[in-house]
Order: sequence, then structure tokens, then C-alpha cells
Amino acid sequence: MPHIWPIGGGKGGTGKSFFTGNLGILLARQGFRTLLVDADLGAPNLHTIVGLSNPAVSLSDFLNKRVAALQDTVLTMPIPNLFLISGAKNKLDIANLAHEQKMKTLRAISRLSYDYILLDLGTGTSFNTIDFFTLSDSGIFVCIPEPTSIENIYRLIRSVYVRKIRQVLKVDRFKELAERAEAQNHDAIIQHPEYLLDMLREMDPEQGGIVENVLKAFQFKLVINQVRRQDNPKVGTLICKIVEKHLGLKIQFLGNVSFDERVHEAVCRRESFVDKYSYSQATLDLRLILKGMTGIADEQAMAL
Amino acid sequence: MRKLNDLNFYELLEVASDVSPFEIHHAYKELFQLYHEDSLASYSFFSGEEREEILAKLDEAYATLMDEKKRSHYDQQLIERGILEEERQYQRDRKQLSLIPSAKHSNADTALKIRDRLKMIVSSNSVIQEVLSHEALTGADLKRIRDELGVSLEEIAETVKVRMVYLHAIEEDQFEKAPSRIFLKGFLRAYAHYIGLDPDSVVTRYLKRIKN
Repeated sequence: MPHIWPIGGGKGGTGKSFFTGNLGILLARQGFRTLLVDADLGAPNLHTIVGLSNPAVSLSDFLNKRVAALQDTVLTMPIPNLFLISGAKNKLDIANLAHEQKMKTLRAISRLSYDYILLDLGTGTSFNTIDFFTLSDSGIFVCIPEPTSIENIYRLIRSVYVRKIRQVLKVDRFKELAERAEAQNHDAIIQHPEYLLDMLREMDPEQGGIVENVLKAFQFKLVINQVRRQDNPKVGTLICKIVEKHLGLKIQFLGNVSFDERVHEAVCRRESFVDKYSYSQATLDLRLILKGMTGIADEQAMAL
Repeated sequence: MRKLNDLNFYELLEVASDVSPFEIHHAYKELFQLYHEDSLASYSFFSGEEREEILAKLDEAYATLMDEKKRSHYDQQLIERGILEEERQYQRDRKQLSLIPSAKHSNADTALKIRDRLKMIVSSNSVIQEVLSHEALTGADLKRIRDELGVSLEEIAETVKVRMVYLHAIEEDQFEKAPSRIFLKGFLRAYAHYIGLDPDSVVTRYLKRIKN
């Protein structure tokens, strides 16, 4: 069974694609068969991060049945063990993916045979984004230490919370629950999705228990990207504390990735940052994060 | 996940029931930085009202646990309710841990808000009020107030940028260690200001004992 790591962040420009691409490269360099999937349906650019200009096939080809299986859209990269499902040639309306197509894609991804599958997700809190993010219980949030990004992370987490409850309950049951919660507190769903669970426990303890167990199964992760010297390095730890304490969700802070102005250059040149600047602090941060996630260290991380 | 209203003061401050006032102050400071309105980490998570409610609960917990009598009374209530074991109560004569809270990422605004909170504690703490009723103030008096607030000299030194040797000298009434009377007044003002006391009053009452 592959480890599936959906990577999301709510807001654009936080470096999700950079993080996904370079983490994938580090995994591949450690010998793991690693598949990167560009699930940012509306604005795919993972192929650019890993240096592929004109991918021959794309996710759309699977959805439009131009290829028989999702595996047929997988591109082998020059870096050994690294593979990519690109979104470069996606149809322009793919972001409005129909429910059936989305479910077909999710099922197909989970059946692929790789050691690690990293999904680079889009921004916002659409159902498509959230459903890709909850394909596994180990979603990774990437944000930057700015209020706009942090606000969007909280919004995304709350959206995941509500979406999960909705998926477990039947439509009319969820509607009844939502109406009762909003009657007590008009912004219950937006600001306090945990009220839904409280209310459900009162209305139906058995169902409440089921939903609670589903939410408890999440093992989210958080990365703070583009951390500058003047930024508080503890922000990630504190965000996790807020989520655990007030939403009751498990979330682990993986670490900070230092800001490096050479990232811009690497992206413009379509080069692998972790290969070109392998001894930069940002690369060392990524290696440490990877070590924390996999329990496996490469030589450079071991030397830290 | 338990609601905030269901937590006792120790759980609210995330400390064990037998910790020292110093550790309570440190815990309060950490949580204050998390929940105050300028906190980046909790930005947008709470409404203004919710934030104030949480801070008010933290203040109540802090004020209770930092006052020896109030804390003892509160602990007794917890013991009677079966929540606290008698042997897990704080013993005053235990040595305080030398945790030094880092002020590196506390900005001036945060320090100001903490000072406001300390002022509130000063006004409600019976031991401190008794000390402040003295006409003159000794170094030992200032130390007693500082101990009641659970504030360390290291914390004061780090924030107000006065060397420890001078702060020690103030508390030990070793006036001759200050470079001059003007410097002594300045150090006293900074010390008093940090722990929420009226600097003018402290300077006047402390220096009353020193001959010109």
C-alpha cells in the first residue's frame, strides 16, 4: 500500500508545489518509487517545478478516456525513481470536475503501486480540493507565517471537518444537524464546526461516536514555509496547539522551511532546488522534515 | 476534547497542580501570547468576544493561583471534589525551577499587555497590597512582591536591559553598587514599571531610607 500524502494550504503562493516537488525529489533520491500527482486542477504547475516543460500526457487524458488507465498518464522523470502525473495539458474546465469523475480519479490514485504518492492540491476549499485532501488521513498543510495564509489554513481545516461529517451522515440528517446548530449560533458551521459534533452526540450518541472516530483518525501535518529570520519559529507549534485544543483534531508540526531567495531562481530555471542548492538551509530543513515523516534519514540529514 | 469551562485552573494553564508560582507565571505568559489579539498563530481563529472570554479565564486562573491564600482555598475545593490529591498540592518551600522564559519573540506590545495583567494581579493580591502599605520600601519588600508575581530577575533583566548585578543590589539594599543615585533611580523605575508598580511611588519610598 502506498503512503499517500495530500499537500494543501488554502492559499496560493505558499509554496505547496515547491514543497511537493522537492520533497518528492528527496524521496526518489533515497530510492523510493515516488509519484507526484498534480491535483491542482485549475492551475497545475508541478511539472515546471520538477523541470518538465511539455508533458506528453496529462490527467485529462484519463478522465476523457484517451488512455485506458491512470497508470498510462504516468511520466517517468530523468531523476531515478521519480514519476509524475501532470496537469499541464488538462482541459481548461477540469477544475469543475463532476462528482463521478472525481471519485473515479480518487479510486484510481489509491490503486497505483508506488512507495509514496504526493498530491499537490489547489487553493481554496472547494469539495474537489477537500476530497482530494482527505484521500488519506495524513494530509499535509503548507502555510507561510503571514496572517492571510494562517487564516486560510484554519478555513481549510474547518472545511475538512464539516465535509467529513457531511460524508458520514445522510443528506437529510446533516441538514437537520446544520439547521439546529445554526439556530443556536448563526456562524456555527463557519466558525465552530465542532458544535456539529456536540449536537450530534446529543441527538444520536451512536452516530456521534462514529463521526468522532472518523475525525480522530486524521493525522494531519503542518509545515511552515518561507520562514525568515525575524519570524517566530514557534508559530507552527502554536497553530497545532490551537487546532488540537479547540477542534480536537490531531495535527503534528513537521518543521519550518527557511526562506531562500534562490528558490525563485530555481523555479525560473525549472531546476531542482534541492539538487542545485543541496547544502542550503531550506534543503536541510526539507531533509529534516522528511526524516521526521519517514523515520529514514539520508546522509546529509544524519550529519545535522 | 474538553470545553474550556470544564477545565480547572491548572488544566487551563496546562501545568501540574504542584508547580511553583514562577512556573505558573511562565505558563500564563506563554498562553497569553497565544491568545492575545495580536497573536499571529491564532489569527482569525477566534472572534473578539471568544478571545476576551479565554483571556478572562486565564486571568482568573492566574490571579487565583498566584495568591497563596486563594490558591490554597482553591486546592482545598479541588481536593473535596476528588479532583486533586492532597499530596499533589504546591509546597511553598520547594525550590523553584530556574526556567528562563525567552523574551526573544515577545514584542513591546506583548510586554505592555503582560504588564497590564501584572498590574491587575498587584491590585488584587493581599500580600502585595500589605507590602505596598508600608511607608518605606526595602529591597526585601520588592523581592517579596516579585516572588508573589512569580517573575524572575532574569526576565526583568532581559526585558528592561538592566544588568542582573544592579537588580540584585536593589533587592539586597546594596545601594553603593549602583554607579550613581541617578542610575539607581533609573534601575528602580525600570524594575517597578516591569512588575506593574507605580515607578514614582517606588522610587520615592525606596530612596527615603538613603541619606543624600
